[in-house]
Amino acid sequence: MRVEVNGLTKTFGTVRAVDDLSFTVEPGQVTGFLGPNGAGKTTTLRMALGLITPDTGTTTFNGTPYPALPEPMRQVGAVLETAFHPARSGRDHLRVYCRATGLPVERADAVLDQVGLGPAGRRRAGGYSLGMRQRLGLATALLGDPSVLVLDEPANGLDPEGIQWLRGFLRHLAHDQGRTVLVSSHLLAEVEQTADRVVIVGAGRLVRQGSLAELRSGAGDAGSVLVRSPQVAQLAELLRSTGTTVSATDSAADGLTVTGISTDEVGRRAFGAGIELHELRAHTSGLEEVYFRLTAGQEQYAAGRTDDVTQGAS
Amino acid sequence: MGTVLVRLVRAEWTKLFSTRVWIGLLLGACVLSGAFAALFTGFAGNPDSGLPALGTPEYERLAFSLPTNVIVISVVLGVIGMTQEYRHRTATPTFLATPQRGRVVLGKLLAYAVVGVGFAVVVCAVTLLVVLLYGNARGSAPSLNGENLEVLANAGLALVIYVVIGIGLGALLKNQVGAIVAALVYLFVVEPLLRSIPATAGAYKWLPGGALEAMTATFEGPDLLGQWQGAALLLGYGLLAALLGTLLAVRRDVV
Repeated sequence: MRVEVNGLTKTFGTVRAVDDLSFTVEPGQVTGFLGPNGAGKTTTLRMALGLITPDTGTTTFNGTPYPALPEPMRQVGAVLETAFHPARSGRDHLRVYCRATGLPVERADAVLDQVGLGPAGRRRAGGYSLGMRQRLGLATALLGDPSVLVLDEPANGLDPEGIQWLRGFLRHLAHDQGRTVLVSSHLLAEVEQTADRVVIVGAGRLVRQGSLAELRSGAGDAGSVLVRSPQVAQLAELLRSTGTTVSATDSAADGLTVTGISTDEVGRRAFGAGIELHELRAHTSGLEEVYFRLTAGQEQYAAGRTDDVTQGAS
Repeated sequence: MGTVLVRLVRAEWTKLFSTRVWIGLLLGACVLSGAFAALFTGFAGNPDSGLPALGTPEYERLAFSLPTNVIVISVVLGVIGMTQEYRHRTATPTFLATPQRGRVVLGKLLAYAVVGVGFAVVVCAVTLLVVLLYGNARGSAPSLNGENLEVLANAGLALVIYVVIGIGLGALLKNQVGAIVAALVYLFVVEPLLRSIPATAGAYKWLPGGALEAMTATFEGPDLLGQWQGAALLLGYGLLAALLGTLLAVRRDVV
Protein backbone atom coordinates (compact mmCIF):
# COMPACT_ATOMS: atom_id res chain seq x y z
CA MET A 1 0.00 0.00 0.00
CA ARG A 2 1.38 3.36 -1.06
CA VAL A 3 1.09 6.43 1.13
CA GLU A 4 0.90 9.82 -0.55
CA VAL A 5 1.14 13.03 1.42
CA ASN A 6 0.07 15.94 -0.68
CA GLY A 7 0.47 19.62 0.22
CA LEU A 8 -0.26 19.30 3.93
CA THR A 9 -0.37 22.59 5.78
CA LYS A 10 -1.35 23.29 9.38
CA THR A 11 -1.10 26.45 11.43
CA PHE A 12 -1.52 26.52 15.20
CA GLY A 13 -2.14 30.12 16.19
CA THR A 14 0.75 32.00 14.61
CA VAL A 15 3.01 28.98 14.26
CA ARG A 16 3.01 27.25 10.91
CA ALA A 17 3.72 23.72 12.10
CA VAL A 18 3.55 22.08 8.68
CA ASP A 19 4.01 23.99 5.46
CA ASP A 20 2.95 22.58 2.10
CA LEU A 21 4.51 19.20 2.80
CA SER A 22 4.40 16.46 0.16
CA PHE A 23 6.14 13.10 0.02
CA THR A 24 5.44 9.47 -0.75
CA VAL A 25 6.06 6.27 1.14
CA GLU A 26 6.51 3.06 -0.83
CA PRO A 27 5.69 -0.51 0.15
CA GLY A 28 8.44 -3.03 0.86
CA GLN A 29 10.69 -0.38 2.31
CA VAL A 30 11.37 1.24 5.62
CA THR A 31 11.07 4.99 5.21
CA GLY A 32 12.66 7.19 7.86
CA PHE A 33 10.81 10.43 8.61
CA LEU A 34 13.54 12.67 9.95
CA GLY A 35 13.66 16.13 11.39
CA PRO A 36 14.62 17.99 14.55
CA ASN A 37 12.17 18.18 17.44
CA GLY A 38 9.41 20.63 16.59
CA ALA A 39 9.85 20.19 12.83
CA GLY A 40 6.23 19.08 12.49
CA LYS A 41 6.67 15.31 12.25
CA THR A 42 4.03 14.36 14.80
CA THR A 43 1.56 16.91 13.44
CA THR A 44 2.09 15.51 9.95
CA LEU A 45 1.50 11.93 11.07
CA ARG A 46 -1.62 12.93 13.01
CA MET A 47 -2.98 14.75 9.98
CA ALA A 48 -2.25 11.73 7.81
CA LEU A 49 -4.32 9.58 10.19
CA GLY A 50 -7.28 11.93 10.43
CA LEU A 51 -6.68 12.95 14.04
CA ILE A 52 -5.82 16.54 13.17
CA THR A 53 -7.67 18.35 10.39
CA PRO A 54 -5.15 20.00 8.04
CA ASP A 55 -5.74 23.56 6.82
CA THR A 56 -5.08 22.27 3.32
CA GLY A 57 -3.72 19.11 1.74
CA THR A 58 -4.54 15.43 1.77
CA THR A 59 -3.01 12.10 2.67
CA THR A 60 -4.10 8.94 0.92
CA PHE A 61 -3.48 5.24 1.41
CA ASN A 62 -3.64 3.64 -2.04
CA GLY A 63 -5.78 6.60 -3.02
CA THR A 64 -8.12 6.60 -0.02
CA PRO A 65 -7.93 9.01 2.93
CA TYR A 66 -7.60 7.30 6.32
CA PRO A 67 -11.09 8.12 7.65
CA ALA A 68 -12.64 6.68 4.48
CA LEU A 69 -10.78 3.37 4.73
CA PRO A 70 -13.07 0.46 5.54
CA GLU A 71 -11.71 -1.09 8.77
CA PRO A 72 -8.72 1.29 8.97
CA MET A 73 -6.95 -0.67 11.73
CA ARG A 74 -6.78 -3.68 9.43
CA GLN A 75 -4.98 -1.63 6.79
CA VAL A 76 -2.93 0.93 8.70
CA GLY A 77 -1.36 0.41 12.12
CA ALA A 78 -0.08 3.44 13.99
CA VAL A 79 2.02 3.96 17.11
CA LEU A 80 1.73 7.64 17.94
CA GLU A 81 2.23 7.73 21.69
CA THR A 82 2.04 5.32 24.55
CA ALA A 83 -1.65 5.82 25.28
CA PHE A 84 -3.44 3.45 27.62
CA HIS A 85 -5.41 3.46 30.85
CA PRO A 86 -2.89 2.74 33.63
CA ALA A 87 -5.32 0.54 35.58
CA ARG A 88 -6.15 -1.66 32.57
CA SER A 89 -3.97 -4.65 31.73
CA GLY A 90 -2.12 -4.66 28.44
CA ARG A 91 -4.21 -7.59 27.31
CA ASP A 92 -7.51 -5.86 28.11
CA HIS A 93 -6.26 -2.70 26.38
CA LEU A 94 -5.74 -4.73 23.22
CA ARG A 95 -9.07 -6.52 23.62
CA VAL A 96 -10.87 -3.16 23.63
CA TYR A 97 -9.57 -2.46 20.14
CA CYS A 98 -10.24 -6.01 19.00
CA ARG A 99 -13.87 -5.43 19.90
CA ALA A 100 -14.00 -1.98 18.31
CA THR A 101 -12.66 -3.32 15.01
CA GLY A 102 -14.47 -6.64 15.06
CA LEU A 103 -11.31 -8.72 15.40
CA PRO A 104 -11.37 -11.91 17.46
CA VAL A 105 -10.09 -11.17 20.99
CA GLU A 106 -7.50 -13.93 20.56
CA ARG A 107 -5.56 -11.45 18.40
CA ALA A 108 -4.65 -9.67 21.64
CA ASP A 109 -2.64 -12.66 22.85
CA ALA A 110 -1.09 -13.21 19.43
CA VAL A 111 0.30 -9.67 19.15
CA LEU A 112 1.45 -9.69 22.79
CA ASP A 113 3.59 -12.71 21.95
CA GLN A 114 4.73 -11.09 18.71
CA VAL A 115 6.22 -8.10 20.55
CA GLY A 116 7.54 -10.20 23.42
CA LEU A 117 5.07 -8.93 26.00
CA GLY A 118 3.18 -12.20 26.54
CA PRO A 119 4.11 -12.80 30.20
CA ALA A 120 3.24 -9.19 31.20
CA GLY A 121 -0.10 -9.12 29.38
CA ARG A 122 -2.26 -9.59 32.45
CA ARG A 123 -0.47 -6.95 34.51
CA ARG A 124 -1.69 -3.37 34.84
CA ALA A 125 -0.19 -1.31 32.03
CA GLY A 126 0.55 1.51 34.48
CA GLY A 127 3.32 -0.64 35.95
CA TYR A 128 5.05 -1.19 32.62
CA SER A 129 8.51 0.17 31.93
CA LEU A 130 8.96 2.68 29.14
CA GLY A 131 10.19 -0.04 26.82
CA MET A 132 7.21 -2.26 27.60
CA ARG A 133 4.87 0.66 26.89
CA GLN A 134 6.45 1.11 23.48
CA ARG A 135 5.96 -2.59 22.82
CA LEU A 136 2.31 -2.35 23.86
CA GLY A 137 1.87 0.54 21.45
CA LEU A 138 3.43 -1.54 18.70
CA ALA A 139 1.19 -4.46 19.62
CA THR A 140 -1.87 -2.21 19.27
CA ALA A 141 -0.71 -1.18 15.80
CA LEU A 142 -0.20 -4.82 14.78
CA LEU A 143 -3.66 -6.00 15.94
CA GLY A 144 -5.26 -5.68 12.53
CA ASP A 145 -2.28 -7.20 10.68
CA PRO A 146 -2.04 -3.97 8.64
CA SER A 147 -0.11 -3.50 5.41
CA VAL A 148 1.04 -0.03 6.47
CA LEU A 149 2.79 0.77 9.75
CA VAL A 150 3.28 4.32 10.96
CA LEU A 151 5.51 4.77 14.01
CA ASP A 152 6.24 8.05 15.75
CA GLU A 153 9.58 7.96 17.59
CA PRO A 154 9.19 4.29 18.51
CA ALA A 155 12.71 3.95 19.87
CA ASN A 156 12.13 6.46 22.68
CA GLY A 157 12.61 4.67 25.96
CA LEU A 158 13.74 1.40 24.46
CA ASP A 159 16.94 -0.08 25.86
CA PRO A 160 19.75 -0.89 23.40
CA GLU A 161 18.55 -4.46 23.13
CA GLY A 162 15.01 -3.25 22.45
CA ILE A 163 16.23 -0.88 19.75
CA GLN A 164 18.17 -3.69 18.12
CA TRP A 165 15.06 -5.87 18.21
CA LEU A 166 12.87 -3.09 16.81
CA ARG A 167 15.24 -2.48 13.88
CA GLY A 168 15.21 -6.12 12.93
CA PHE A 169 11.46 -6.32 13.38
CA LEU A 170 10.73 -3.31 11.15
CA ARG A 171 13.11 -4.56 8.45
CA HIS A 172 11.42 -7.94 8.58
CA LEU A 173 7.96 -6.36 8.21
CA ALA A 174 9.05 -4.30 5.21
CA HIS A 175 11.57 -6.44 3.39
CA ASP A 176 10.26 -9.95 4.04
CA GLN A 177 6.54 -9.21 4.26
CA GLY A 178 6.35 -6.31 1.81
CA ARG A 179 4.63 -3.92 4.19
CA THR A 180 4.94 -0.15 4.07
CA VAL A 181 6.81 1.14 7.11
CA LEU A 182 7.12 4.82 7.99
CA VAL A 183 9.12 5.55 11.11
CA SER A 184 9.83 9.00 12.46
CA SER A 185 12.84 10.06 14.49
CA HIS A 186 14.82 13.15 15.31
CA LEU A 187 18.04 11.13 15.33
CA LEU A 188 19.59 10.06 12.07
CA ALA A 189 21.59 7.33 13.78
CA GLU A 190 18.35 5.69 14.83
CA VAL A 191 17.05 5.18 11.31
CA GLU A 192 20.40 5.00 9.52
CA GLN A 193 20.63 1.25 10.03
CA THR A 194 16.97 0.53 9.37
CA ALA A 195 15.70 2.85 6.67
CA ASP A 196 15.97 2.40 2.93
CA ARG A 197 14.64 5.85 2.22
CA VAL A 198 14.45 9.03 4.21
CA VAL A 199 12.14 12.02 4.17
CA ILE A 200 13.78 14.95 5.94
CA VAL A 201 11.72 17.86 7.23
CA GLY A 202 12.72 21.10 8.91
CA ALA A 203 10.39 23.81 10.20
CA GLY A 204 7.42 22.02 8.65
CA ARG A 205 8.87 21.93 5.14
CA LEU A 206 10.30 19.13 3.08
CA VAL A 207 14.08 19.43 3.05
CA ARG A 208 15.02 16.31 1.16
CA GLN A 209 13.58 12.94 0.23
CA GLY A 210 15.41 10.07 -1.36
CA SER A 211 17.15 6.80 -0.72
CA LEU A 212 19.70 6.64 2.03
CA ALA A 213 22.29 5.56 -0.55
CA GLU A 214 21.68 8.73 -2.58
CA LEU A 215 22.04 10.89 0.46
CA ARG A 216 25.19 9.06 1.50
CA SER A 217 26.88 9.41 -1.88
CA GLY A 218 26.12 13.13 -1.83
CA ALA A 219 27.73 13.39 1.57
CA GLY A 220 31.26 12.52 0.40
CA ASP A 221 33.89 13.74 2.82
CA ALA A 222 31.54 16.03 4.68
CA GLY A 223 32.21 14.22 7.94
CA SER A 224 34.76 15.18 10.52
CA VAL A 225 37.84 13.25 11.60
CA LEU A 226 39.38 13.22 15.05
CA VAL A 227 43.13 12.83 15.23
CA ARG A 228 45.54 12.83 18.17
CA SER A 229 49.27 13.19 17.88
CA PRO A 230 52.25 14.29 20.04
CA GLN A 231 53.34 16.44 17.08
CA VAL A 232 50.00 18.20 16.85
CA ALA A 233 51.27 21.58 15.62
CA GLN A 234 53.27 19.96 12.84
CA LEU A 235 50.28 17.87 11.80
CA ALA A 236 47.97 20.88 11.75
CA GLU A 237 50.48 22.73 9.56
CA LEU A 238 50.69 19.81 7.16
CA LEU A 239 46.93 19.44 6.82
CA ARG A 240 46.27 23.17 6.47
CA SER A 241 48.83 23.41 3.67
CA THR A 242 46.50 21.31 1.52
CA GLY A 243 43.45 23.40 2.28
CA THR A 244 41.87 21.17 4.92
CA THR A 245 39.90 22.85 7.71
CA VAL A 246 41.56 22.16 11.03
CA SER A 247 40.42 23.13 14.49
CA ALA A 248 41.64 22.20 17.94
CA THR A 249 39.41 19.83 19.87
CA ASP A 250 38.12 21.09 23.14
CA SER A 251 38.83 17.82 24.94
CA ALA A 252 42.56 17.28 24.51
CA ALA A 253 45.55 19.51 23.87
CA ASP A 254 47.09 17.00 21.49
CA GLY A 255 43.92 16.52 19.45
CA LEU A 256 42.58 18.01 16.22
CA THR A 257 39.22 17.94 14.49
CA VAL A 258 39.62 17.90 10.75
CA THR A 259 36.84 18.23 8.21
CA GLY A 260 36.72 17.69 4.46
CA ILE A 261 39.11 14.78 4.49
CA SER A 262 38.85 11.05 5.05
CA THR A 263 40.63 9.13 7.80
CA ASP A 264 42.59 7.26 5.12
CA GLU A 265 43.91 10.50 3.72
CA VAL A 266 44.93 11.89 7.11
CA GLY A 267 46.77 8.68 7.88
CA ARG A 268 48.52 8.61 4.53
CA ARG A 269 49.79 12.18 4.86
CA ALA A 270 50.91 11.76 8.43
CA PHE A 271 52.80 8.61 7.48
CA GLY A 272 54.40 10.37 4.53
CA ALA A 273 55.60 13.21 6.78
CA GLY A 274 56.74 10.84 9.50
CA ILE A 275 54.28 12.18 12.07
CA GLU A 276 53.37 9.85 14.89
CA LEU A 277 49.61 9.34 15.44
CA HIS A 278 48.02 8.14 18.67
CA GLU A 279 44.47 8.17 17.52
CA LEU A 280 42.66 8.51 14.22
CA ARG A 281 38.93 8.03 13.85
CA ALA A 282 35.86 9.33 12.06
CA HIS A 283 34.00 11.61 14.46
CA THR A 284 30.75 12.17 12.59
CA SER A 285 29.76 10.41 9.43
CA GLY A 286 29.26 12.41 6.28
CA LEU A 287 25.58 11.58 6.41
CA GLU A 288 25.25 13.02 9.88
CA GLU A 289 26.96 16.21 8.74
CA VAL A 290 24.57 16.46 5.81
CA TYR A 291 21.54 15.87 8.04
CA PHE A 292 22.80 18.43 10.51
CA ARG A 293 23.40 21.01 7.79
CA LEU A 294 20.04 20.38 6.15
CA THR A 295 18.14 20.90 9.35
CA ALA A 296 20.38 23.40 11.15
CA GLY A 297 18.52 26.32 12.64
CA GLN A 298 15.14 24.84 11.77
CA GLU A 299 14.08 23.74 15.23
CA GLN A 300 11.16 25.74 16.53
CA TYR A 301 12.95 26.06 19.85
CA ALA A 302 16.64 25.94 19.03
CA ALA A 303 19.20 25.89 21.82
CA GLY A 304 22.00 28.42 21.78
CA ARG A 305 25.11 27.31 19.93
CA THR A 306 27.56 25.62 22.24
CA ASP A 307 30.37 27.92 21.03
CA ASP A 308 28.52 30.94 22.35
CA VAL A 309 27.96 29.27 25.66
CA THR A 310 31.51 28.07 26.28
CA GLN A 311 33.35 31.13 25.07
CA GLY A 312 32.88 33.09 28.27
CA ALA A 313 34.05 30.19 30.40
CA SER A 314 37.39 29.64 28.64
CA MET B 1 -23.75 0.50 10.73
CA GLY B 2 -25.70 -1.77 13.06
CA THR B 3 -22.88 -4.25 13.55
CA VAL B 4 -20.38 -1.42 13.88
CA LEU B 5 -22.42 0.07 16.72
CA VAL B 6 -22.69 -3.30 18.44
CA ARG B 7 -18.89 -3.60 18.27
CA LEU B 8 -18.40 -0.11 19.67
CA VAL B 9 -20.86 -0.73 22.50
CA ARG B 10 -19.04 -3.95 23.40
CA ALA B 11 -15.69 -2.12 23.24
CA GLU B 12 -17.04 0.45 25.71
CA TRP B 13 -18.19 -2.29 28.06
CA THR B 14 -14.75 -3.91 27.86
CA LYS B 15 -13.21 -0.54 28.73
CA LEU B 16 -15.55 0.03 31.66
CA PHE B 17 -15.35 -3.43 33.19
CA SER B 18 -11.58 -3.88 32.75
CA THR B 19 -10.84 -1.27 35.42
CA ARG B 20 -12.32 -1.14 38.89
CA VAL B 21 -13.87 2.32 38.74
CA TRP B 22 -17.36 0.90 38.24
CA ILE B 23 -17.16 -1.19 41.43
CA GLY B 24 -16.32 1.89 43.48
CA LEU B 25 -19.12 3.93 41.94
CA LEU B 26 -21.68 1.15 42.35
CA LEU B 27 -20.68 0.45 45.97
CA GLY B 28 -20.74 4.17 46.73
CA ALA B 29 -24.22 4.49 45.23
CA CYS B 30 -25.48 1.46 47.18
CA VAL B 31 -24.14 2.75 50.48
CA LEU B 32 -25.44 6.26 49.83
CA SER B 33 -28.92 5.20 48.72
CA GLY B 34 -29.15 2.62 51.53
CA ALA B 35 -28.16 5.24 54.09
CA PHE B 36 -30.72 7.73 52.74
CA ALA B 37 -33.44 5.09 52.86
CA ALA B 38 -32.52 4.13 56.42
CA LEU B 39 -32.39 7.75 57.62
CA PHE B 40 -35.69 8.73 56.03
CA THR B 41 -37.40 5.64 57.36
CA GLY B 42 -35.82 6.03 60.80
CA PHE B 43 -36.85 9.67 61.16
CA ALA B 44 -40.23 9.34 59.45
CA GLY B 45 -42.92 10.95 61.59
CA ASN B 46 -40.33 12.46 63.95
CA PRO B 47 -41.68 15.96 64.62
CA ASP B 48 -38.19 17.50 64.62
CA SER B 49 -37.29 16.06 61.21
CA GLY B 50 -40.33 17.42 59.42
CA LEU B 51 -40.67 14.12 57.59
CA PRO B 52 -44.13 12.64 57.01
CA ALA B 53 -45.09 9.68 59.18
CA LEU B 54 -44.78 6.03 58.15
CA GLY B 55 -47.81 4.72 56.36
CA THR B 56 -48.82 8.09 54.87
CA PRO B 57 -48.86 8.39 51.06
CA GLU B 58 -46.49 11.40 51.39
CA TYR B 59 -43.87 9.30 53.17
CA GLU B 60 -44.17 6.45 50.67
CA ARG B 61 -43.82 8.77 47.71
CA LEU B 62 -40.77 10.37 49.31
CA ALA B 63 -39.19 7.02 50.15
CA PHE B 64 -39.54 5.74 46.61
CA SER B 65 -38.01 8.90 45.14
CA LEU B 66 -34.86 8.55 47.26
CA PRO B 67 -32.71 6.98 44.49
CA THR B 68 -32.56 10.46 42.88
CA ASN B 69 -30.18 11.44 45.68
CA VAL B 70 -27.39 9.54 43.92
CA ILE B 71 -27.80 11.21 40.52
CA VAL B 72 -24.41 12.80 41.19
CA ILE B 73 -22.84 9.33 40.93
CA SER B 74 -24.67 8.82 37.62
CA VAL B 75 -23.15 12.02 36.30
CA VAL B 76 -19.68 11.02 37.51
CA LEU B 77 -20.04 7.62 35.79
CA GLY B 78 -20.87 9.30 32.48
CA VAL B 79 -18.16 11.94 32.87
CA ILE B 80 -15.49 9.32 33.58
CA GLY B 81 -16.69 7.18 30.67
CA MET B 82 -16.05 10.04 28.28
CA THR B 83 -13.14 11.95 29.80
CA GLN B 84 -10.93 8.92 30.49
CA GLU B 85 -10.25 8.91 26.75
CA TYR B 86 -8.71 12.35 27.01
CA ARG B 87 -7.17 11.93 30.46
CA HIS B 88 -5.26 8.80 29.49
CA ARG B 89 -4.88 9.89 25.88
CA THR B 90 -6.65 6.77 24.61
CA ALA B 91 -8.71 9.06 22.38
CA THR B 92 -5.88 8.53 19.88
CA PRO B 93 -6.21 4.73 19.49
CA THR B 94 -10.00 4.98 19.89
CA PHE B 95 -10.36 7.43 17.00
CA LEU B 96 -7.76 5.52 14.97
CA ALA B 97 -9.90 2.40 15.29
CA THR B 98 -13.07 4.37 14.47
CA PRO B 99 -12.35 7.59 12.57
CA GLN B 100 -16.09 8.33 12.44
CA ARG B 101 -16.07 10.00 15.83
CA GLY B 102 -19.82 10.50 15.94
CA ARG B 103 -20.16 6.72 16.03
CA VAL B 104 -17.74 6.52 18.95
CA VAL B 105 -19.83 8.95 20.99
CA LEU B 106 -23.06 7.21 19.92
CA GLY B 107 -21.55 3.87 20.98
CA LYS B 108 -20.62 5.37 24.34
CA LEU B 109 -24.14 6.78 24.82
CA LEU B 110 -25.76 3.43 24.09
CA ALA B 111 -23.25 1.45 26.16
CA TYR B 112 -23.57 3.74 29.15
CA ALA B 113 -27.36 3.99 28.87
CA VAL B 114 -27.51 0.20 29.24
CA VAL B 115 -24.99 0.31 32.09
CA GLY B 116 -27.09 3.12 33.60
CA VAL B 117 -30.15 0.85 33.55
CA GLY B 118 -28.25 -1.81 35.48
CA PHE B 119 -26.95 0.83 37.88
CA ALA B 120 -30.46 2.23 38.41
CA VAL B 121 -31.94 -1.22 39.01
CA VAL B 122 -29.36 -1.96 41.72
CA VAL B 123 -29.79 1.42 43.41
CA CYS B 124 -33.59 1.15 43.31
CA ALA B 125 -33.42 -2.40 44.66
CA VAL B 126 -31.23 -1.32 47.58
CA THR B 127 -33.58 1.56 48.37
CA LEU B 128 -36.64 -0.66 48.13
CA LEU B 129 -35.05 -3.36 50.28
CA VAL B 130 -34.06 -0.96 53.09
CA VAL B 131 -37.38 0.89 53.01
CA LEU B 132 -39.39 -2.35 53.09
CA LEU B 133 -37.35 -4.15 55.75
CA TYR B 134 -36.78 -1.16 58.01
CA GLY B 135 -40.34 0.12 57.51
CA ASN B 136 -41.65 -3.35 58.34
CA ALA B 137 -39.51 -3.44 61.47
CA ARG B 138 -40.94 -0.06 62.50
CA GLY B 139 -44.44 -1.33 61.95
CA SER B 140 -45.50 -0.18 58.50
CA ALA B 141 -43.83 -1.13 55.24
CA PRO B 142 -44.86 1.04 52.25
CA SER B 143 -47.29 -0.58 49.87
CA LEU B 144 -46.09 -1.51 46.40
CA ASN B 145 -49.03 0.08 44.64
CA GLY B 146 -48.89 1.36 41.09
CA GLU B 147 -48.38 4.98 42.02
CA ASN B 148 -45.43 4.23 44.33
CA LEU B 149 -43.79 1.94 41.82
CA GLU B 150 -44.16 4.64 39.18
CA VAL B 151 -42.27 7.06 41.40
CA LEU B 152 -39.55 4.45 41.87
CA ALA B 153 -39.37 3.75 38.14
CA ASN B 154 -39.13 7.46 37.39
CA ALA B 155 -36.35 7.87 39.91
CA GLY B 156 -34.51 5.02 38.17
CA LEU B 157 -35.10 6.58 34.77
CA ALA B 158 -33.62 9.84 36.06
CA LEU B 159 -30.49 7.95 37.12
CA VAL B 160 -30.12 6.63 33.56
CA ILE B 161 -30.66 10.05 31.97
CA TYR B 162 -28.05 11.65 34.24
CA VAL B 163 -25.48 9.10 33.03
CA VAL B 164 -26.20 10.32 29.49
CA ILE B 165 -25.89 13.93 30.65
CA GLY B 166 -22.52 13.01 32.20
CA ILE B 167 -21.29 11.64 28.85
CA GLY B 168 -22.30 14.87 27.12
CA LEU B 169 -20.74 17.01 29.83
CA GLY B 170 -17.51 15.01 29.60
CA ALA B 171 -17.40 15.45 25.83
CA LEU B 172 -17.96 19.17 26.24
CA LEU B 173 -15.32 19.80 28.89
CA LYS B 174 -12.83 16.96 28.18
CA ASN B 175 -11.10 17.59 31.51
CA GLN B 176 -12.16 14.91 33.99
CA VAL B 177 -11.63 16.80 37.23
CA GLY B 178 -13.04 19.98 35.72
CA ALA B 179 -16.18 18.22 34.52
CA ILE B 180 -16.78 16.50 37.87
CA VAL B 181 -16.25 19.73 39.82
CA ALA B 182 -18.55 21.59 37.44
CA ALA B 183 -21.24 18.94 37.93
CA LEU B 184 -20.91 19.07 41.74
CA VAL B 185 -21.03 22.87 41.84
CA TYR B 186 -24.03 22.95 39.54
CA LEU B 187 -25.98 20.25 41.38
CA PHE B 188 -25.23 21.36 44.92
CA VAL B 189 -24.77 25.12 44.65
CA VAL B 190 -26.20 26.64 41.48
CA GLU B 191 -29.49 24.77 41.25
CA PRO B 192 -30.43 25.05 44.95
CA LEU B 193 -29.67 28.78 44.76
CA LEU B 194 -31.77 29.31 41.66
CA ARG B 195 -34.52 27.28 43.29
CA SER B 196 -34.58 29.39 46.43
CA ILE B 197 -34.20 32.88 44.97
CA PRO B 198 -37.72 34.17 44.23
CA ALA B 199 -36.62 36.00 41.08
CA THR B 200 -35.30 32.81 39.46
CA ALA B 201 -37.57 30.24 41.11
CA GLY B 202 -39.97 30.51 38.18
CA ALA B 203 -37.27 29.45 35.74
CA TYR B 204 -36.16 26.57 37.94
CA LYS B 205 -38.82 24.22 36.61
CA TRP B 206 -37.13 24.39 33.20
CA LEU B 207 -33.74 23.32 34.59
CA PRO B 208 -32.63 19.68 34.89
CA GLY B 209 -33.19 19.78 38.65
CA GLY B 210 -36.72 21.14 38.18
CA ALA B 211 -37.43 18.47 35.59
CA LEU B 212 -36.09 15.83 37.97
CA GLU B 213 -38.34 17.09 40.78
CA ALA B 214 -41.32 17.09 38.46
CA MET B 215 -40.65 13.44 37.61
CA THR B 216 -40.90 12.33 41.22
CA ALA B 217 -42.82 15.36 42.62
CA THR B 218 -42.34 14.91 46.33
CA PHE B 219 -42.21 18.13 48.28
CA GLU B 220 -44.48 21.08 47.84
CA GLY B 221 -42.16 23.57 46.29
CA PRO B 222 -41.88 25.88 43.34
CA ASP B 223 -44.37 25.17 40.61
CA LEU B 224 -43.22 22.29 38.46
CA LEU B 225 -43.98 20.71 35.12
CA GLY B 226 -46.08 17.60 34.86
CA GLN B 227 -44.46 14.25 35.48
CA TRP B 228 -44.01 13.23 31.87
CA GLN B 229 -43.13 16.74 30.77
CA GLY B 230 -40.35 16.65 33.36
CA ALA B 231 -39.10 13.32 32.06
CA ALA B 232 -39.17 14.56 28.47
CA LEU B 233 -37.34 17.78 29.42
CA LEU B 234 -34.65 15.88 31.32
CA LEU B 235 -34.20 13.49 28.44
CA GLY B 236 -33.96 16.52 26.17
CA TYR B 237 -31.11 17.87 28.30
CA GLY B 238 -29.35 14.51 28.07
CA LEU B 239 -29.66 14.39 24.30
CA LEU B 240 -28.65 18.03 23.92
CA ALA B 241 -25.50 17.44 25.98
CA ALA B 242 -24.75 14.34 23.93
CA LEU B 243 -25.31 16.15 20.63
CA LEU B 244 -23.09 19.10 21.59
CA GLY B 245 -20.47 16.69 22.88
CA THR B 246 -20.56 14.70 19.64
CA LEU B 247 -20.20 17.80 17.48
CA LEU B 248 -17.25 19.00 19.54
CA ALA B 249 -15.56 15.59 19.62
CA VAL B 250 -15.90 15.38 15.86
CA ARG B 251 -14.44 18.79 15.21
CA ARG B 252 -11.65 19.02 17.74
CA ASP B 253 -8.12 17.99 16.83
CA VAL B 254 -6.66 15.11 18.81
CA VAL B 255 -3.14 16.30 19.54
